[in-house]
Amino acid sequence: MKIKKANAGALTNFEVLDFLRSRGAAKDPTRVIAPIAASEFKVYDYLVESAACNQTREHINEFLKKCQKYDLAKAEILNIINVRPSSPVEIDPIIEECEKRIGEGIEELIELVETVLPAPPSQPNTEDEVVADDGEQQPPTAAEGMETEN
Amino acid sequence: MFYLSLIEHTLRLPPQLLGLPLNEAIKGVLESLFLDKVIANLGLCISVYDIRSIDGGFVFPGDGASTYTVEFRLVMFRPFVGEIITAKLKESDSNGLRLTLGFFDDIYIPVHLMPNPSHSEPDPEKKNQVIWMWDYQEQKFPIDGIGEISFQVQSVTYPPIPVEQPKESKPFAPMVIIGSLDYDGLGPVSWW
Repeated sequence: MKIKKANAGALTNFEVLDFLRSRGAAKDPTRVIAPIAASEFKVYDYLVESAACNQTREHINEFLKKCQKYDLAKAEILNIINVRPSSPVEIDPIIEECEKRIGEGIEELIELVETVLPAPPSQPNTEDEVVADDGEQQPPTAAEGMETEN
Repeated sequence: MFYLSLIEHTLRLPPQLLGLPLNEAIKGVLESLFLDKVIANLGLCISVYDIRSIDGGFVFPGDGASTYTVEFRLVMFRPFVGEIITAKLKESDSNGLRLTLGFFDDIYIPVHLMPNPSHSEPDPEKKNQVIWMWDYQEQKFPIDGIGEISFQVQSVTYPPIPVEQPKESKPFAPMVIIGSLDYDGLGPVSWW
């Protein structure tokens, strides 16, 4: 076995998730039929719960264009796309020498992340709002469903 | 977290697979050879991304199988030093924490890389396990098993395969990630 190129390109979590989905990975019971190995499913399960599951190629491209003015390293951009930080304290460990290089612009960067990249499924702020709405809506729809059936 | 690696390999295609279209047969053999295995300094192989070229197809004398030289790309899991990853707690003992990603279990947070200062308390529920608490401003924050934990990758090592292992020791881990929790924004997501 010869290693021709150890690093032929970095992949965001979204790209790996997209690749697995295009081969047929899914959450539901059809997974037994899909040509995906059990170990690949474990990776799929991990990615589907991370920030990558709601992203699309357009989101990533838009983010890449807009964050150019911050002069971030490629690894830092990759990390931000994968983690999708929603507050300055989350971005601090990602960017080296954050205070010196970005300082005040950190709020702008967080806003850029929040507007361009979709929120992951389990982030507390958005989840509370969604749960509140669903809690109110669910009983009426269930009742309506039963009435139409009858 | 994930990289593509370009690999060239010479492989034998067992005769019973010759009925399948060539691409599929080769992909199947590559998957059984590389999937879920660690390649030193490249990382854990997740998936075969694509096959670039297939060469050969010679049958050597005395062999029933044909031999191909294949160039292909693999999706490798290899976090870079300084990357932030969220993982779940697997076990915690007096040496530190062990985290899991579902597909990868050997992530260790040693005692000296825990948030400083912190101390451990014996876990009332499970024997041999301790709960680590972070002492910050007179308050104690426990690192419990609920929710995910963010850590920063300190190093990725590939210990050499041991020749003999004493019985009942931990199964050999070909790839070990050492992480750190000692920074703002790291640790259980619920803290921040």
